[in-house]
Amino acid sequence: MSSDVRFTDFKSDKQPTWCPGCGDFGTMNGMMKALANTGNDPDNTFVVAGIGCSGKIGTYMHSYALHGVHGRALPVGTGVKMARPDIEVMVAGGDGDGYSIGAGHFVHAVRRNVDMTYCVMDNRIYGLTKGQASPTSRSDFETSTTPEGTKQPPVNPLALALASGASFIAQSFSSDAMRHAEIVEKAIEHDGFGFVNVFSPCVTFNDVDTYDYFRDNLVDLEEEDHDPTDYEAAKEVILDSDKEYQGVMYQDENSVPYHEKHGVTEDMSEIPDGAPEDAMDLVREFY
Amino acid sequence: MGGKAQDNMAEDLNWAVGGEAGDGIDSTGKIFAQALARAGRHVFTSKDFASRIRGGYTAYKIRTSVDQVQSVVDRLDILVALTQRTIDENLDELHEGSAIIYDGERSWEAEIPDEMTAVDVPLKSLAEEAGGAIMRNIVALGAACEITGFDVEYLDEALEKRFGGKGSKIVENNKEAARAGQEYVQENYDLSHLGYNLETTDNDYVLLNGNEAVGMGALAAGCRFYAGYPITPATSIMEYLTGRIEEYGGHVVQAEDELSAINMALGGARAGARSMTATSGAGIDLMTETFGLVATSETPLVIADVQRSGPSTGMPTKQEQGDLNMALYGGHGEVPRFVVAPTSIDECFWKTVEAFNLAEKYQTPVFLVSDLAMSVTEQTFPPEAFDMDAVEIDRGKLVDEDNVDEWLDAQGHFRAHAVTDDGISPRAIPGMTDGAHMSTGLEHDELGRRTEDEEERVQQVDKRNRKVKTAREREDWDYREFGNEDADNLVISWGSNEGALAEALEYLEDDGIDVRVISVPYIFPRPDLSDEIEAADETIVVECNATGQFADLIEHDVLTRVKRINKYTGVRFKADELADDITAKLSEEVPAQ
Repeated sequence: MSSDVRFTDFKSDKQPTWCPGCGDFGTMNGMMKALANTGNDPDNTFVVAGIGCSGKIGTYMHSYALHGVHGRALPVGTGVKMARPDIEVMVAGGDGDGYSIGAGHFVHAVRRNVDMTYCVMDNRIYGLTKGQASPTSRSDFETSTTPEGTKQPPVNPLALALASGASFIAQSFSSDAMRHAEIVEKAIEHDGFGFVNVFSPCVTFNDVDTYDYFRDNLVDLEEEDHDPTDYEAAKEVILDSDKEYQGVMYQDENSVPYHEKHGVTEDMSEIPDGAPEDAMDLVREFY
Repeated sequence: MGGKAQDNMAEDLNWAVGGEAGDGIDSTGKIFAQALARAGRHVFTSKDFASRIRGGYTAYKIRTSVDQVQSVVDRLDILVALTQRTIDENLDELHEGSAIIYDGERSWEAEIPDEMTAVDVPLKSLAEEAGGAIMRNIVALGAACEITGFDVEYLDEALEKRFGGKGSKIVENNKEAARAGQEYVQENYDLSHLGYNLETTDNDYVLLNGNEAVGMGALAAGCRFYAGYPITPATSIMEYLTGRIEEYGGHVVQAEDELSAINMALGGARAGARSMTATSGAGIDLMTETFGLVATSETPLVIADVQRSGPSTGMPTKQEQGDLNMALYGGHGEVPRFVVAPTSIDECFWKTVEAFNLAEKYQTPVFLVSDLAMSVTEQTFPPEAFDMDAVEIDRGKLVDEDNVDEWLDAQGHFRAHAVTDDGISPRAIPGMTDGAHMSTGLEHDELGRRTEDEEERVQQVDKRNRKVKTAREREDWDYREFGNEDADNLVISWGSNEGALAEALEYLEDDGIDVRVISVPYIFPRPDLSDEIEAADETIVVECNATGQFADLIEHDVLTRVKRINKYTGVRFKADELADDITAKLSEEVPAQ
């Protein structure tokens, strides 16, 4: 790990195909800054991406990376981190990837508290398939597949995380570059599963949850005297459906990450040239 | 009573204990099997069980001989029956020389056919005298020892192994219970007419089942990461690894479902660990979602499918070899893969080791296809059958910091999917300087970045397929052979039917029928059997499914019709039954070409 790593080292030379103005640019830049600021470099970082506009992030960043199957980015990240506790694992996906097809994995990744970071680029819409409702779309949001709105309450990912026993819950806004990077940095530094829901506006298909909407409505918890280690206070903020917040909502100071609880500390990539020395003991067990 | 008489076959004894699930049937049978192995006798076990925790008929059956035994037969000589249903379920296998041990003090009235020997032992009372009714099965084991002329002392070590953790008092009580059963029969019955007298030898065998052999093979091969989701009959691989893999710095994680399990294992493999998952039934359907990603991202991964009866939930505790097409063709698009199907329990070990090597050498998913019969069957082997010194590890084209430069492009990017003559690209694992690269389920260029360029697409598809071609040339995809090499009759099988076939040969030989058996452990790539089939007058393909999936493949390979023996009752082939089936099939007309 070198100390002179710049965030641009995490940038690949592939030009993003995101729409001009897409929130994902800011989300990715903040993630790269946070990785560099926490002393990581591309060779010790593994980025896992899901499917959707957000999933393209692995291509635009430079690091070890896997762009996987829709909704399964968290399990891949979990496997990487268990096999290689020495590697920094960053998982990225969208609201459809994480809260719809991958919702089951989200709950269990939160419970497991593996020491990795999960940034969800939440634009409250399916962008890549050209504008259908996502699990975080508002109930009256009209799309091609929901002409009268979904008529369902949107998923509250923060509450879902809290109910699943999360140790770190935060929310940021891709356009507030400094705060976004700061919040992701805290998620990386957290001992356990650092979850950040990032408002990452879709300029093409979502004319409701726009940059202006978030700029006008976002309340920064840092200015609100919020204590993230206070579970009750966190609960209040997370369940407050009248406001949109950014900042760290909850952080369990006593979080013990998975690898510590389970004693998973070895670099599993290194194995001997043959069977382990005492392997005949395994056979003798069957006497 | 359709069971064959003992005639002049190797001196084997078929023993069983049966009752209701929850009666401790499994551990009772295991203790007797271990005692036999300790006495230098070979053992082959099978289980009748249902998918429930308590209630329902369940049995543990043992075939034992001083010679190797590798199949069950349609004959039961000694039965410990804890319920009437145990007797009823086995009437077909019982014969006039059979002895049935039961407890006449129990409320049920044992109905035992007159020609059989009923051995009424007050199992519960004797157990209570020895320290507790719970030991009634052990009393029955003692009784079985007396009937079979087997020294009750052989039970001691197995009892110590089973109950040692519960303290010496419990062990002593159990030994006493066994002796009480033995003495009761000795004092109250003269069973010399049965003529059972189990010979012992100085050999010492290990006793294990197919899933344990897979698990041990994984540890020997350096598997360090296992992710799985419980499903019968694959779970015991996970249970075997749990508590053992940690000794080598590895870890087992129970995922939330099979979708997650295979993705976790994929993550572990991308991170450089030898990784594995195992499943069965619907689990393999779910994993198929990620199968194409494993192949196209060129990730070395071992996926074990311990087949059970399908489709859907099917018969979850019953035998079937119905997933062959799934293993070969599962997943959308064209997915290069290897499919390896061990043919015996010791081969479960060796093929697992080989699967890990194939996976890493060719950076390709490897399906390790086993089945329920093999997974629960315990068989004896000399420990040398698992000679750990013979285990070889080949990690393939793993690059390190000394040679990574050879694989960087002009801009210094690592070419993880470099197009090479043999199709195999270099592999860099996280943490290595200058190795950073991405991979994806999207079609990609040499750097792993998305492309829809026609030329690059064709290059990558061809390169992935070329790995299989390279493997065909470099690896030994041989079959195993039994019987007479020059016989006119050829029987071909895959997977776990090998043992029953090998023993069926003895029955066929007695009837003057000459057969050559070819047992195929490699499904893809697989050996070319054209010459062998051409040299034979008749070819029969034997498998545990209804449609003959392997027979279809063989016909496709050699463009010749074959005869088929298919069993899909949920029960594995038995040697004597298979001999009858082959005899009948040989007299049938050859199918139209």
